[in-house]
Amino acid sequence: MDATNIAALSGNLAVIGYGLAAVGPGIGVGLVVSKTIESIARQPELAARLQVTMWLGIAFTEALALIGLATPFIFV
Amino acid sequence: MNSVANLFSRVLTLGTILISAIALIGSLIGFFAFGSRGVLSALIGAGMAAIFVSLTAGSVWIGSKLSLAGFFGVVLGGWLVKLLSFLVLVVLLRKNSDIVGGVIFFTLVAAVLGSLAVDAWVFTRSRIPLISSD
Repeated sequence: MDATNIAALSGNLAVIGYGLAAVGPGIGVGLVVSKTIESIARQPELAARLQVTMWLGIAFTEALALIGLATPFIFV
Repeated sequence: MNSVANLFSRVLTLGTILISAIALIGSLIGFFAFGSRGVLSALIGAGMAAIFVSLTAGSVWIGSKLSLAGFFGVVLGGWLVKLLSFLVLVVLLRKNSDIVGGVIFFTLVAAVLGSLAVDAWVFTRSRIPLISSD
């Protein structure tokens, strides 16, 4: 029996990788920010400390995004 | 200059020194491996890392002078603009035959990881008062 294509995909598979590289850190940054807002709402006097701590969390999370989005330089 | 501004100016200064060192080392390795194309690629990779990493610290610094909504607007809006412009840069540079992709990638990764180490080191040694002087 001949194999029959019922669906075809075209395009570059790497695009899915770029999307995933943005989705993961996007969720991570969202969580960091939402928890910071919650914490500032609970203890507004700690806002300065929490904002700086949040920046460190965002820096680590976005490093994943930058590395993921830079992979076209070596993988494609 | 308050303690938060002091912290960010130290992060930016140390980060710039570290990324410059990584650019130098990357340029040397790139030059011996790929000639002038390698040097150009290492400088582009280090430059991209320097701009994008310092934009994060800069957006938090500028945002901390605004209201709470302004702070999150600047930080998250900056993040969005940064990722989009990074994607556009990657698309533009990838097709360019004057660069070596591997050198850009590894310089970028080394610079990003190095600046994370600087961030964490400066942050753990910082003293931020509970009550801001602003």
